[in-house]
Amino acid sequence: MRRASVFGMMAVLLLASSHGAANPSGVGSGTFDAQCGGACHGDADMNRSSPATVSVEAPSVAYDGLLTSVSVTVSDIQTTANGLLGVFLLSDLTGAGDTPADDGWAILSNSEGGTENYVEARISSGQTEHTVSWTLRAPSIGTYNLHAAVHHGTQDGSEAPFFGSTLSPTVVEVVEVPENLPRLAADFAPPTQVTVGEASEIDLQTEFVNSVTVEWRTVGGESKTVVVQPLGDETWSFTLPPSVQPVVLEWRAHLEGDGPSQTTPWFQVNSDDPSWSVDETTAYAQSLAMLLAATSLFVALQHRRTASELKAYEAELDDVGGEA
Amino acid sequence: MVSSGTLHVVSTEMTVGAFAMAGAAFLLAGLASHGLAGMRRHLTLADHVAHFALAFGLLAMPMAIVTGIQASPGEGVDHPLLINKMLLASTAFGLAFGVLLTRWRQGTAVWQDAWGRRWQALGGMASVGLILTTASIGGTFSRGESLLDMLHLPYEHVPLMPFWLSGLIIAVASANLVLLRRPAQG
Repeated sequence: MRRASVFGMMAVLLLASSHGAANPSGVGSGTFDAQCGGACHGDADMNRSSPATVSVEAPSVAYDGLLTSVSVTVSDIQTTANGLLGVFLLSDLTGAGDTPADDGWAILSNSEGGTENYVEARISSGQTEHTVSWTLRAPSIGTYNLHAAVHHGTQDGSEAPFFGSTLSPTVVEVVEVPENLPRLAADFAPPTQVTVGEASEIDLQTEFVNSVTVEWRTVGGESKTVVVQPLGDETWSFTLPPSVQPVVLEWRAHLEGDGPSQTTPWFQVNSDDPSWSVDETTAYAQSLAMLLAATSLFVALQHRRTASELKAYEAELDDVGGEA
Repeated sequence: MVSSGTLHVVSTEMTVGAFAMAGAAFLLAGLASHGLAGMRRHLTLADHVAHFALAFGLLAMPMAIVTGIQASPGEGVDHPLLINKMLLASTAFGLAFGVLLTRWRQGTAVWQDAWGRRWQALGGMASVGLILTTASIGGTFSRGESLLDMLHLPYEHVPLMPFWLSGLIIAVASANLVLLRRPAQG
């Protein structure tokens, strides 16, 4: 009983230390406030100022309820040995209730293939600059601030967690949508993921649009135009070509109508290998089954001696002085 | 603050080190119990080292598993390597536990006859082999390579049973363990 208590106490202490540990492998993309709920990077007693420069690029004017593109550029990057860099898009830097959604923005996609305000990018060795783009639906009419922040460590892992942010916010004025402005339908949500080797067919819903042209490109590549088929009732269809390897494709639409012509922001589509998934309950059950089966089989294999045989052997050992 | 990754390295080294020592001792115990290589007089020593090292490895293993899960990126076991790692570690744990349970119940009599000594040594060494393969998968997952890559083991394939079959095996194995809790009737 006493031994079990000591062992239990040691196990609790060991587990407690690991629960309080940092996350050098990151926490994965997600919707987080700037301080990640009191993470080491946000703790003024522990963190250090990042040497990186963080800037937000956004249009000064956006239309109420329409899509717009915002990008965050991090330069003078310093990261951990595994290259992890966490990038936030934020509505303020208070550390609580400061996601874009808290100001009414809706994130439709980001260039890392997700729909969250916090993304973790892997930075190649020697890379000093990285840009993450978000496509957002603008909130109601008003003036809004957008900030960005970064979390990272150091190459040798010996120093404190780093935190960096924009020095001043980027201001976006959200105004009323002009009458007859050619635009995407309010409920249109661009796809963000596609499987490698599969073409992605996109149906585009618009309002006040007479014709549409669409261009696409790989990030940093030359843009090309695709054929757009009108399906009627302000619905259009086009197909992005399949990729042969994981890559980020970007596309945008030029909308023509009675009102002033409009160009949508670049929308990112992440092409990725087919994701691997498994029913975790089945896997855990099989794991337990294999554990018990291995124990049971071995015990059965060795279950041959009778109690009298075991006693006789122990007695024999005692007689010869314990030598087996 | 010590990160989960660092704790995982420590606990993994403890586990693998203990199992490796157990493996060598089981080999020596097997040779000694068969009277090979002039080892017979070292049987008691090899027997004790093998089982104590195996027990220590088993104690360290849960810590390695917990810290490994915490240190892995993403959520849950979402990679074939991680599933295979978990299945192999479970099998190794079960086999090692069976070896220790047998030794605890039967004492040194386990080395008494040819059948017992053969399977005790092979069981101990097999559990060690499974643990080393598990560690190799860990190396492949974190660094993209490991020493056992030369064997071209099919780490990417996951042999998953239906849930009902796992449940049936759990029930049968549990019943078997309950029925085998006493020595054989003679």
